[in-house]
Amino acid sequence: MAAFPLPRLRGAGAFSLTEFRVQVHEGIAIFTSIMTQAVLLIFVRILAPPLFEIALLGSLIFSVFTLGQRVLNEAAYIRVDHRLNQLYLASPLTPDSYFVGISVGVLMAYSLPILLLVAVAVLTLPFTPALVALLLSTGFAVWVFTSSLGYILSTTFRDMRAIWSQASILYNLFGVLPPVFYPLYLFPSALRPVALVLPPSAATALLQASIGAVTLSPGEVALAAGSHVVEAAVLFAFALYWARRTAMER
Amino acid sequence: MSAVATPEVPLEGRSLPAFALIGWRWVSRNPASAIAPIMLPFIFLYFLHLISAPSLFPLEVIGAMLFTTQNIGSWVLGDSATWRIENSLQDMFVASPLGKLRYLFGVAFSNLIPASPALAILSVLLAVTIGRPVPWYAWPVLLGSILVLWLLFSSVGIAISSRVRSQREIWPVGNLTFTVLGMLSPLYYPLSYLPPVIQAAARFLPATYAALLVQGVFGITAQSPSQMAVDGLLLLACAGVGTLAALQLYRWREG
Repeated sequence: MAAFPLPRLRGAGAFSLTEFRVQVHEGIAIFTSIMTQAVLLIFVRILAPPLFEIALLGSLIFSVFTLGQRVLNEAAYIRVDHRLNQLYLASPLTPDSYFVGISVGVLMAYSLPILLLVAVAVLTLPFTPALVALLLSTGFAVWVFTSSLGYILSTTFRDMRAIWSQASILYNLFGVLPPVFYPLYLFPSALRPVALVLPPSAATALLQASIGAVTLSPGEVALAAGSHVVEAAVLFAFALYWARRTAMER
Repeated sequence: MSAVATPEVPLEGRSLPAFALIGWRWVSRNPASAIAPIMLPFIFLYFLHLISAPSLFPLEVIGAMLFTTQNIGSWVLGDSATWRIENSLQDMFVASPLGKLRYLFGVAFSNLIPASPALAILSVLLAVTIGRPVPWYAWPVLLGSILVLWLLFSSVGIAISSRVRSQREIWPVGNLTFTVLGMLSPLYYPLSYLPPVIQAAARFLPATYAALLVQGVFGITAQSPSQMAVDGLLLLACAGVGTLAALQLYRWREG
């Protein structure tokens, strides 16, 4: 397929579009994908208005982070409920393309509500080219990480009823407890390195520093940026390996 | 000629213990799934504790209790819809001597069980953080408000469950309904913090009156006894109307 000119990604473009079409039928799911973000933004707007800009940046990263939950849900749904994965994987579609296709399809479908938040951010935040570049690069790394995590976790579920609640808690735990919607300085200082290692909070720490909301030492910047890139790359590589392995088992 | 012996089929049963067993089985077999939904109010509480004034914390704990109760509606929706769509169990319930109302109470009761630990922990947290003597009737009023919301939102959940068409719709529809209802009501902050238009909209929701009443009896927001009595009556009225409307919407038999 021309969109992904690598032999291992044969069919990924077509499968991404297929997944996109499947996803856009789930209008309510797309619409409600920013509910948690909206709730937290309302909380911040009402209870701590000076933190609204930070929360808005956090909502963008969190929105990208929760795409992994959609990948998890979709991959598990195809496998557990429809058993369609066997059909897909028996076709010329490679396991890599299957994983990448779901991830890209979900990204395309769920971009619309994220763009809504982007529009609010554009009206609220002083966007500079540097901030845009940082937002795009951290957002991309978070997407790679979260999609890989979502796909890997999807292979462990056997019951559709358990998926939403368990996945939701995982993504809320790592997206809301660490300093994603609030400034890094409110997080316990002893746990600061943990926040700088977790992908969503590492991304928001870099973004908060770029708008001058928090101060990071060069070491902390290196830790946040380094762990961000390494975790995304390692987990993506593992997701590819896992996709091939689980395809062989079936 | 002797009469043909018919098997003794019990026409009376104990639906609540049966559904309690279902609730307990879900908790015991899927502890992670049971823990997951009750953690969300605690996550919100932690977040709010960080960003808001410490004096608001008891109010936020009460909000978390009411929000947890409201979320039971979402779980009722999930269970009832899964049993109908995926397990095709509803036909069996309809064919049994179990009526529509007993089914509703049963599903609601089975979902109250996983929420109970969270409500108990939040009660202890409230008792520890309230920091002032409260009248004897404050706790019964809190319990009563929780029970009214439990019944109301379980009815809403079960009504919606009879209308969803696929397993994939369950979570988004539940999330949309119960999050919007929860956030429009001033559960986690005083009503006065909201813009006037939203305050007016919130006055149409039963959880608003539950929040105002409980905040009032615990002395967190200043309210006269007559105001609290009006809040209590409006809570009952809204809950009564909401429950009746939900039961009207509920489709017990299909086709």
